[in-house]
Amino acid sequence: MSSVQGQAHGFEFTVEKVLRLRLQNRLTSGVMYVLMALLVVWSVEVTIIEDTDWERMGSLGNVIESAGRFVGVDFALFPDLFEPALETFMIACLGTLLGVLICIPATWFGAHNITPFKPVTYPTGRLMMILSRSIHEIVWALFFVSALGLGALAGIFAIAVRSVGFIAKMSAEAIEDIDPGPIEAMRATGANGFQVLLYGILPQILPQVLGVIIFEWEINIRRSAILGFVGAGGLGLVFFRQMNTFNFHGVTSVIIAIFGIIIIGEVFSYFARKAVI
Amino acid sequence: MTSQSSKSAIVLQRKWSRFRYPESAIRYSIWLSVFVFLVYSVEYLDIPLERLLGMLGRLGETLANRYYPVDIEYIMDADYGEYVVETIQMAYLGALFGLLVTIPLGWFASINMTPSRYYVYPVARFITMVCRAVHEMIWAILFVSILGFGMLPGVLALTFFCTGFAGKLFAEEIEAIDMGPVEAIRATGGNLFQVMVFGVFPQVRVALTGIAIYTWDVAFRAATVVGFFGAGGMGWYLKRNIMQIETHRTAAILLSIIALVVISEVISAWARDRISKSQ
Repeated sequence: MSSVQGQAHGFEFTVEKVLRLRLQNRLTSGVMYVLMALLVVWSVEVTIIEDTDWERMGSLGNVIESAGRFVGVDFALFPDLFEPALETFMIACLGTLLGVLICIPATWFGAHNITPFKPVTYPTGRLMMILSRSIHEIVWALFFVSALGLGALAGIFAIAVRSVGFIAKMSAEAIEDIDPGPIEAMRATGANGFQVLLYGILPQILPQVLGVIIFEWEINIRRSAILGFVGAGGLGLVFFRQMNTFNFHGVTSVIIAIFGIIIIGEVFSYFARKAVI
Repeated sequence: MTSQSSKSAIVLQRKWSRFRYPESAIRYSIWLSVFVFLVYSVEYLDIPLERLLGMLGRLGETLANRYYPVDIEYIMDADYGEYVVETIQMAYLGALFGLLVTIPLGWFASINMTPSRYYVYPVARFITMVCRAVHEMIWAILFVSILGFGMLPGVLALTFFCTGFAGKLFAEEIEAIDMGPVEAIRATGGNLFQVMVFGVFPQVRVALTGIAIYTWDVAFRAATVVGFFGAGGMGWYLKRNIMQIETHRTAAILLSIIALVVISEVISAWARDRISKSQ
């Protein structure tokens, strides 16, 4: 702190002003810190102290004991995990693909420099992005399971709809930042809107967008691993079954399998992104 | 390169292509294998492609018939408001604890500042990876099964989730700093801790604030559903209504979630904007 005050000697003619401003700053930040601390105390009081059923939880030993149930691996389960893992991986791939397809109109509408009819389509595009991002994948999966029935298809739709928001937002931002030169040149030669989109805009944003898609695909593997909780197939279903039959070592095995496919996905995405960018 | 290609054009009259032989073949085979894999997975997962269009119609029908008249009165209840406040508190605590863990973890997990590259760095990296790889829902289920129902498991699940989320960003931020001040402080004899506080922290302070706001935003989104498996907050409400097939109420809850997430997003965008301006 002393070094900071030492710097103020350079501005000797305004020392009083500097000191007063600094005091003011300290006061505001002090008030903010106190408010934050109070908020923490209040939240801790409500959520942790009042809401928790301490008696049921018992002593620290009991908690450690119930956590210890998960220590250990059910090796017998691994052969049965291969198929659900493959299924999860496939759901993530197909979901990303479908998401990219849904992204195209969302991006086109949501980028304010190319949106076809601004007062209507721009808000529509933005709404699509917000809707997709603000609803959790579990909720999407529930909705699609109730509409399409149990199975991988509901999972694919949930993943697709959920990944629209991020991909479309990043792509729309990329489109808003493009160099307008080539587009003007194309317009001047008489290209129509579609041609401008295909030859003027797409080449400029493609590397960036592909990077985003690969990144989202990596996240989608993580997401598809849990969609089975609500009946959309894959590893989540096995996890849920192990949990409900109290086979806690099996739960650990499933988590290890999830790690496995996530690491595979990360390796793939590392090389793919390197190749793209 | 250009003279070479023009020469070969004269000799072979070959058509121009962006990629030459070995690279073009590799690219072609990669795309082909991706395509084959996708087709195979459609086959493997038994997706009825021919019924897909009809299904979209059914989707719209479901939405219109079952969810349409949204039961707004249901979410105007004071009881529901309490759950919303709980959700916000859970997200706040989860993000806060996660960030508190992140600060040392990001330090240990950044290759340029870590105290020991052979022992501490891999461990910290591994912890970050585990927190990130396990989905927040799995954390929630695990903690509910260990600690019982309530908001404490929710807070812990969000803490782990935020640790993974913010830890990676923070470590990357530390890896991108200017090493000059760090070396200067090392040269004057500063110990590890002093180097961190006076050399690194002033450089990443603004970025850390941005990460904190972003983390809170993500944590809130996750907090709306961790209750689904018994970890408190709005998710519990959602689950109850879904189980009772009260679709109109479910629609109302979903709308309220969207509204809250949009509000939190607007606030966080505003805050991040202000921070980047004040820099």
